[in-house]
Amino acid sequence: MQDRDTIDRRTFTRRTAAVTGAIALAGCVGGEEPGDGDETGDGDGNGDDDVAAVPELPEIEDPPDAVYVPTHREAMRMLEPIDAGEFRLAPMLSYPHPFWVIAGGGSAEEEVERIDPDDGRGVHMMFTLWDAETGIVLPVDEGTQITIYRDDEQVGSPRSPWAMISQEMGFHFGDNVSLPEDGTYTVEVTITPVSTTKTGDLEGRLEERQTATFEFVYDDEFRHEVVGGVEYLDEDDWGRRGALGPMDHGHGEGGHAHGEEHGDGHHDDGHQHGDGDGHHDDGHQHGDEHRDDGGHDDHDHHHVPYSELPDVDEYPGTVLVDPDADERPAETMDLPRSGDGAFLATLTEPGFRLADGDERYLLVSPRTPYNRVPLADMSLSVTVERDGETVAEPSLEQTLDSELDLHYGTSVADVQPGDSVTITVESPPQVARHRGYETAFLEMPPVELTIPEES
Amino acid sequence: MVPDRSSLSRREYVRALVATGGAGALSACLDAVDDGEATAAPSGTDDPDSLPDRQHAWNDTLSSDDDGNVLLPEHHALVALSLRAEPNEEDRDTVEAAFRTIERAYEWSNEGLVFTVGYTPAYFARYDGSLPDSVDLPEPVALTDREDPAFDEYDALLHLASDRPEVVLEAEEALFGDRETVNGVDLEADLSGVFDRREDHRRTGFVGDGLPARHTDLPDVPESIHEEAPFFMGFRSGFRESQATEDRVTISEGPFSGGTTQQLSSMDLQLEVWFEQDNHYQRVSKLFSPEHAEEELVGAFGERLETASGLTDDRIEATAADARERGVVGHAQKAARARENGDPLLLRRDFNTVDGDRPGLHFLSLQRGIDEFVRVREAMTGADLDVPSANNGLLHYIFVNRRGNYLLPPREHRALPPADPGSGA
Ligand code: HEM
Ligand SMILES: [Cu+2]
Repeated sequence: MQDRDTIDRRTFTRRTAAVTGAIALAGCVGGEEPGDGDETGDGDGNGDDDVAAVPELPEIEDPPDAVYVPTHREAMRMLEPIDAGEFRLAPMLSYPHPFWVIAGGGSAEEEVERIDPDDGRGVHMMFTLWDAETGIVLPVDEGTQITIYRDDEQVGSPRSPWAMISQEMGFHFGDNVSLPEDGTYTVEVTITPVSTTKTGDLEGRLEERQTATFEFVYDDEFRHEVVGGVEYLDEDDWGRRGALGPMDHGHGEGGHAHGEEHGDGHHDDGHQHGDGDGHHDDGHQHGDEHRDDGGHDDHDHHHVPYSELPDVDEYPGTVLVDPDADERPAETMDLPRSGDGAFLATLTEPGFRLADGDERYLLVSPRTPYNRVPLADMSLSVTVERDGETVAEPSLEQTLDSELDLHYGTSVADVQPGDSVTITVESPPQVARHRGYETAFLEMPPVELTIPEES
Repeated sequence: MVPDRSSLSRREYVRALVATGGAGALSACLDAVDDGEATAAPSGTDDPDSLPDRQHAWNDTLSSDDDGNVLLPEHHALVALSLRAEPNEEDRDTVEAAFRTIERAYEWSNEGLVFTVGYTPAYFARYDGSLPDSVDLPEPVALTDREDPAFDEYDALLHLASDRPEVVLEAEEALFGDRETVNGVDLEADLSGVFDRREDHRRTGFVGDGLPARHTDLPDVPESIHEEAPFFMGFRSGFRESQATEDRVTISEGPFSGGTTQQLSSMDLQLEVWFEQDNHYQRVSKLFSPEHAEEELVGAFGERLETASGLTDDRIEATAADARERGVVGHAQKAARARENGDPLLLRRDFNTVDGDRPGLHFLSLQRGIDEFVRVREAMTGADLDVPSANNGLLHYIFVNRRGNYLLPPREHRALPPADPGSGA
């Protein structure tokens, strides 16, 4: 039933070598606690002591307050996607690892907390959840729940996994879950209705609570696979501004790092760490095409959509621009940023389907700058000014649309070319973050834009 | 099955005995308690009229903490009951006599025993007439999208509470005829001919300073819980100004006036995430309000709060704004939005549990009608708030798995009341 994606012996040897190399490196980099994640196992007499439960995870000192390249590409076991009513979900399992949870504006230090797995035994349990019909990844925290069983006995209390973003997995739900012993586990997932405003083909759908179950085996083989599968990046790239590309879900790994240090047109600057199948950019097509794939390709059970928003040119209306910029943004990388989040804002024609009557619709779609992952669960408001006078000050509503995906929007009556629009981030995305995203999207100053004259 | 004493502290052992129940547990419990100063529980009264008309009149007799907040008894048992046959007058007399025996045996207090008996909608369904309009007692239902609870569909529930664990056990055994005397009083009648105990639905619990931290031996109770916290979530609760008064929850008209309704939700708690992932600041934000966290109003476990939970009108009104501007709202500020004219609607008598060897809460509340509970629960769910589920108070940490609604009739009708005692049905 499950897709173990086991690796062959040769790959394994090669990866083990990579791990060892990196451990040697970690000493120079510092920040590693002695004994943490060493190769001796944790000695609870469970399984093969030669297999570490977690890989060596070196720290990056002083990462930028922006999206940055982590030290390694995470390895995981992909399980076969499962159906749950109108929903579909793909479970993924990795070793327990640090992540950050946020409750608040991110300005007080205490509002962000780093979670460190206490002992390595267990998994980082994740799943991507999407609408089976449109293929849209559902990127909002509605309170899904999981309960874990082993031999029909419940293991631990139920939990609600965190809504999280990661460079490789995009938006997903996940948590570190400790597992008492090796064995076969059954996970019951409860998916709650999507209460966020839904529009287009999503309207009136995804309103039934559903449950689904999946199974997995936690054992030496699993640990070999996920610990051995970790790929360390070139140390020069650690902490550099940029991001790992989306993982190739069909094969459980691959991808490349994007960077921006070398100027535009150079996003793919040769940091390929895959098994030779890292060129999967084409696997992530944009817009409708991408969604149709996700929805109708019933044969491909392994296809797991990545929560990638459409690019700039696929949105209707006039793109709002930075008054000081010379050129209109052509793609996400060119968009104005706040807290390193890229802000796409457009003003539609009057009478657009999401506007009231013949009003226009003001749409703001904040996203991660490289992978276009939606920044969900934010609160945004805008101030529209004309000749120094405020003409409107609406709050934007988080909305999930079958074509425009996750965005924040409002219908506006009296907004016209030449007006200036300031987007205020009332609260930054309240989603947990994997490494490389934890220092970004926290302090997010207002974004000042103008509505260009129609050309 | 009596728990193994050797591995447990005395208090822990005694708590485990209450959870186990039965005659074996009782005798073990008496032995254990005997190790200490063996004083008899204070005895009750021969004059039933000296007791309050309301079964739920506990507050005047219960002890208070240094700040004047009511302290619930430490040990609780919820005994589920199913009728053996359709009730008749003789059964009513038996039930009343059994309760009076208990009242003669134990003082109505923390040191003695306080108890109530409540009846479900399923119980009243057997009568031709329906409950009077003055009683709002619908069948229990799921109240949020997150829950899919089982329902209490048996007939009645006995709630026994005392600071003395052996009293809780002994009273239960006495009510089911497993003893000849109870606290020195001869047993005149018991319930066993009228009710079967539903062992599968028996629930137990405890509440009080330091009790939760005694359960860190269980895998799902983290070591990091504060030593003095009275509740599993690590903070004091039940401050006087956040509780409805007994008058507020009392039915004021009709044949059941002097009664109240009881709502019972049993839930699992996810303490590992709460204590080991969230930090103190986040816990205070999510439990009280983000301003409580920022201004450090709470202290380590609520010791800075005295008789009020610091919920000013401003902080309650700020809930929607906190959701948007701070990305997080507190459980208490959010629930307090349901106050009417400034008065809370619920009298919460909830307590911790480790039934099933996992941490949980039996959330027991009294309110005039179940509709009031539903309103408060809606305020707590906060579907109107612009905030993700994980930062919406406690929602991320609680998992409701059972719910029951009950009528607690006034004492005069507590023994197998018909649906409308006034109508002579
Ligand atoms: C683990 C579960 C729960 C915990 C730890 C908890 C804790 C608290 C705390 C600390 C307070 C503020 C302090 C005080 O009580 O004076 C409070 C208030 C309150 N809680 Fe809970 N609670 C829980 C579940 C519930 C549930 C299920 C309800 C049902 C609706 C509820 C309703 C209320 C109400 C109505 C208030 C008072 C609001 C006011 O002041 O008007 N609580 N709770
Ligand atoms: Cu994750």
